[in-house]
Amino acid sequence: MMEVLEARQSSAANNEKIINIQNLSVWYGANQALANVNLDIQKNSITAFIGPSGCGKTTLLRCLNRMNDLIPGFSRSGTIRIDGEDIYSVRDVKSIRRKVGMVFQQPNPFPATIYDNMQLPIRENLDQTDRKKTREIIIDKLKSAYLYEEISQRLNKSALRLSGGQQQRLCIARALTIEPEIILFDEPCSALDPISTMKIEDLLLGLKERYTIVIVTHNLEQARRIADYVAFFYQGRIEEQGSFMEIFTSPNSKLTRDYIRGVF
Amino acid sequence: MNRKVIRDAAGQALSWFASSLTIAVCFGIIAYLFVKGSAQINLDFIITEPNPTVNQAMSGGISTPIVGTFLLTVIGTIIAFPIALATSIYLAEYAKKNMVSSLFRTGIDVLAGVPTIVIAIFGLAVFSNPQLGVFSSMVEGVKGANRAFGRSFLICGISMAVMILPFVIKTCEEAIKAVPKAYMEGSLAMGASKWHSITRIVLPAANSGIITGVILGMGRIIGDTAIVWLTLGGTLRMTGIQPWWSPINWISTLRNTGSTLTSFIFFASPAGEGNQPEKAFGASFVLIIIIILLNFVTELIARSRKTVKEE
Repeated sequence: MMEVLEARQSSAANNEKIINIQNLSVWYGANQALANVNLDIQKNSITAFIGPSGCGKTTLLRCLNRMNDLIPGFSRSGTIRIDGEDIYSVRDVKSIRRKVGMVFQQPNPFPATIYDNMQLPIRENLDQTDRKKTREIIIDKLKSAYLYEEISQRLNKSALRLSGGQQQRLCIARALTIEPEIILFDEPCSALDPISTMKIEDLLLGLKERYTIVIVTHNLEQARRIADYVAFFYQGRIEEQGSFMEIFTSPNSKLTRDYIRGVF
Repeated sequence: MNRKVIRDAAGQALSWFASSLTIAVCFGIIAYLFVKGSAQINLDFIITEPNPTVNQAMSGGISTPIVGTFLLTVIGTIIAFPIALATSIYLAEYAKKNMVSSLFRTGIDVLAGVPTIVIAIFGLAVFSNPQLGVFSSMVEGVKGANRAFGRSFLICGISMAVMILPFVIKTCEEAIKAVPKAYMEGSLAMGASKWHSITRIVLPAANSGIITGVILGMGRIIGDTAIVWLTLGGTLRMTGIQPWWSPINWISTLRNTGSTLTSFIFFASPAGEGNQPEKAFGASFVLIIIIILLNFVTELIARSRKTVKEE
């Protein structure tokens, strides 16, 4: 157990920062959802956003790939830099979203075959017309998502027939097809049973070697199991942030301590 | 306690009675037409052209009216569908809640309420302009007249399209809105453009609703009489260059007049020339069968989609 913890700590310490958030405040109409958030996300690590409901975790997550732009009344101040680039100054939002993938709380495979679900983003984003190459990419990503063995015989069946856990892994595989650098997970396991949850947590631990992962979770045990870094949100601010060891074993703030202990 | 039970029972009985009445009327019409019209139905009736004559034995069949109905349905749908689809995409996906979009919606609602006879008169007035003579033929042999005839398959088809436009827009918009937002979000989150997400993911998912809307629009075209009566010219046969079914003559046929099942029924009934009441019933029966088939197809599509979704 201690070796795992030590490995996590050392791997976490050596990484560069890939996301830099400075003085970010967010409003939905007149409601302020985030106030002066400052946070760095390390590359190739798992960062967990934890905190009670409605305190801004998902809001911050959705700012990272500018999905909040779709919400009417959204406004913000401050900057978010990914790879040094201010994402809100970029002309083409689509380029941000190709770099930063997202997996949602409810699995949302398209109403099509498994193969088509994987093929659509490849065809649209990679301009890939070679069928053989496309198929290779699809199989590779399905394997990366630990899904291929279970469904290799039914790629041409509807994706809606899969179980919840399988659908979510399909959504993860689909997000991987365009080779993002960062993948955002918005409570990906909250709609799933414990065994599917376990499979996905294993998957995330494997994925972090190639991708940077940011996950919003209500499940403290989950954060404990997989997070390298943790940011604790309370009422629109980051109450405390740090490595998972710092937050879970020696938090500075009483609020953090109370939350970890399950007081609220 | 007793009063509640009575009220419940009374409510149920009333609803049952109302539904039965409706169904009785519907079946009554079909049965009546069957009784009066089925005697007329044989192959000759369907494939012979009508002859304007008092002699019942020689008055022919309803082939050209059937073709006329078919032509108008095709023309009207081909014109209305792309416009309606584009409008519904705009309203469902792009329009923001502002004055302009409210204006659009009001305009569509108003158009939906315009009586078909008004659309017909409007079509006739507009297309009588000599500049638009390409859609029909020019009036000849009348001194001092420089007008287009204003009646033809093309003009009637265009007017039909105007009639069904609001209806198809509404049903397509409903179908698009019924697609779960999650699909759109999932696609956008992967860096796809909005247009790509709409055309590759949302529209295919809204398929059955859109097709149902189009087919129901076709049903309205098939059943319309006012527009046909005013803008199709009411000739029993095709009046373009004969033979009208030969491909070289198609444009001429479309620019000239003809009739449909609905105008034939009017013409042959006591309200029209009144010569062929039996034929009118025969044509009515054919018309009802077409409508029933159309509704049947719509139902099949809706069912097939349900099973695919549950797959």
